[in-house]
Amino acid sequence: MSNFRTFILGLVASFGLPWLCLIVIPVLKYQALQPVAYDKDADGIEGYYPPAPINGQGQIVYLREGCSQCHTQMIRPTQIALDGWHKGWGQDQEARPAAPVRSNTLYDYLGEHYAPLGIVRAGPDLANYGWRAPERAVIHQKLFAPRSQHDWSNMPAFKNLYIVRKAQGPVSAKALKLTGKSAPETGYEVVPTAEAEALVDYLLSLKKDYPVPGVSAAVAAAPAPAKK
Amino acid sequence: MQTIPTSADLDLQADNLRRAAIDKSVKGPVLFLFLNGAFWLMASTILGVLAAIKLVSPSFLGDCQYLQFGRLQPTHLNALIYGWGIQAGLGVMLWIMARRSGQELKSGKSLLYVAGVFWNIAVTLGLLGILLGGSTSMQWLEMPRWVWPILLGSFLVFAWPMAVMFGKAFRPEGFMVSTWYILGACFWFPWIFLTANVCLHCIPSLGALGAGINAWYVHGLILLFFTPVAVGSSYYFIPKITGRPIASAELAKLGFWALAVLAGWTGMQTYMGGPLPSWMPSVGALTGTLLLIPVGVVGLNHHLTTLGSHNLVATSPTLRFTFLGSLFYPVTGVLLALLSNYSTGVNLQFTHAGYGFQIVAIYGFFSMCVFGAIYYIVPRLAGCEWLSVRLIRNHFWFSTYGIGSIVVTSIVAGLQQGGDLNNPEMWDQDFMQLALNSRPYMVARAISWALITWSNVWFLIHLMLMVAGLGRRSSAPTLLHSAHDDTPHAAHA
Repeated sequence: MSNFRTFILGLVASFGLPWLCLIVIPVLKYQALQPVAYDKDADGIEGYYPPAPINGQGQIVYLREGCSQCHTQMIRPTQIALDGWHKGWGQDQEARPAAPVRSNTLYDYLGEHYAPLGIVRAGPDLANYGWRAPERAVIHQKLFAPRSQHDWSNMPAFKNLYIVRKAQGPVSAKALKLTGKSAPETGYEVVPTAEAEALVDYLLSLKKDYPVPGVSAAVAAAPAPAKK
Repeated sequence: MQTIPTSADLDLQADNLRRAAIDKSVKGPVLFLFLNGAFWLMASTILGVLAAIKLVSPSFLGDCQYLQFGRLQPTHLNALIYGWGIQAGLGVMLWIMARRSGQELKSGKSLLYVAGVFWNIAVTLGLLGILLGGSTSMQWLEMPRWVWPILLGSFLVFAWPMAVMFGKAFRPEGFMVSTWYILGACFWFPWIFLTANVCLHCIPSLGALGAGINAWYVHGLILLFFTPVAVGSSYYFIPKITGRPIASAELAKLGFWALAVLAGWTGMQTYMGGPLPSWMPSVGALTGTLLLIPVGVVGLNHHLTTLGSHNLVATSPTLRFTFLGSLFYPVTGVLLALLSNYSTGVNLQFTHAGYGFQIVAIYGFFSMCVFGAIYYIVPRLAGCEWLSVRLIRNHFWFSTYGIGSIVVTSIVAGLQQGGDLNNPEMWDQDFMQLALNSRPYMVARAISWALITWSNVWFLIHLMLMVAGLGRRSSAPTLLHSAHDDTPHAAHA
């Protein structure tokens, strides 16, 4: 029987150690993570890092529709990948930015219930999508009929987030401006639901490359926080 | 003239009676698990075809939200994992554990049925939940959050009698390594599953750490559930069919403990270069590569055991499936090492190669070993022999070609995609080139899943006939080559 006990103890010890070190302790330590205040003298900006939370309501739609099956939200450092040099993937929208987009830290995802870092990158990375996003109407058009923008697109059309209804009176200000195959029949208009609006709010709130306090390179590279 | 039975004959007879009694005691639950598992497997392979087509042509089947890729792909994988993998795995575990420990299932059989029914109801509702818009987007845990306690409870109802059998029959000497693996699977799965679900569903706001734990869960499930069940089953059936003992007990022990020590550290390398503290992906990368040791050790041991008995691979369906499944263990290990270490892994990160790894682990390695076990177990429980050699061959070859092409195309697609992502020429391009380049591989994936679906439709029908007791009434097992039938070997007698 003592051998049986040794066997069970061996199982507990061999798995318990990684379980403790890799899961339990990091989870407990993560609970203590708080936003860090910027130092006005050293960082040149005021407030807290990370400055703005993501839109949680929209993230629920993002998770529900399984967007993270194809989109990542994680910029890798330039040592291992070219993500940081990809045009428009950070705050600096210049064609040839002075510095690459920084890779992400744990703080960038602070306050998110679950960070959808992604599985496969079959579509572009969305970590800093908020900076490069076009107008709301264009995002809505992309979500409603991706192939109306790119005929090669492999993105699904999220028609369930939109209502096709009979146009009554003047065309709604919210109605999507669609042409060609994706346009509704005459007399009908396509308007986004509250869920679609939340999803777009979420996509616009994806700005995960705010300067890190105390990291001077990031401060030097970052232009003044732009309003979007 | 009557011959007086010798004591050896009497022993054999007593042994056979004991085996028959054990088989009878687990018959119902094991056949229940196999049949339901085979049903989910077929459903999952069909969903796999649809999901692959959706990646090429998103408007296939219309723009119905229930069948968009983001919902279809997790449904396909969850059906494969919880519907087929764990369910069929439990059936094999229960039977091998009862046989190996020489214990009948004494009581609680009705409880096992209840747990099995609950498991299947939970999986059904969970998958419908994903399709209807309840997905959590946590990889392999996409089912709505109320599903996991039911799954965990049902699993524990099955794990408990196995642990009791193991405890009663534990002896330090002799060949026990297959039950080691199976007890390990009974023990690791609830631990990993509970940890991942509590962290992701009950602790608010883990942010990016949640994604790391999710990746750890995926690797834990592969390495500490699917792997031990498949290796345990091959350690049981290879000696059984070849009639030779495991080549080296030392290697067997080394393979087991190396897996036990290393596997729990693996997983977070999925997000190498990401927001997690860098030691976490690093230790995952290290152990993911070091896992080549237990993989190599087990492979060597199987090789030494089967050496000289390769003709049996041609005749015995059990050995043929188990042999191929065991061959996929090194393939799985090498793919994991390629994905894990920083020099090749960064190019394969976030590409279709990750899917290739998961599918080769679950279908190529685990499922092939489980098919081998099912071909051995079901005739003993159902009291009749498999009907058709042709159906078994059909199952084997279509599965082999299907999984082989999924593995190859996934790796090549991953290299292509990783190259496109890291191509300096593409720095200001949209994803057109990448989307167009991956199309042929997705078409190949759809075709591969269609081959596997074809093989499993017939497997399901064959299994249903067996469970209904409509198999061949014969004392000779169904072998794949009739030429060898005149020299039946002890294992099939």
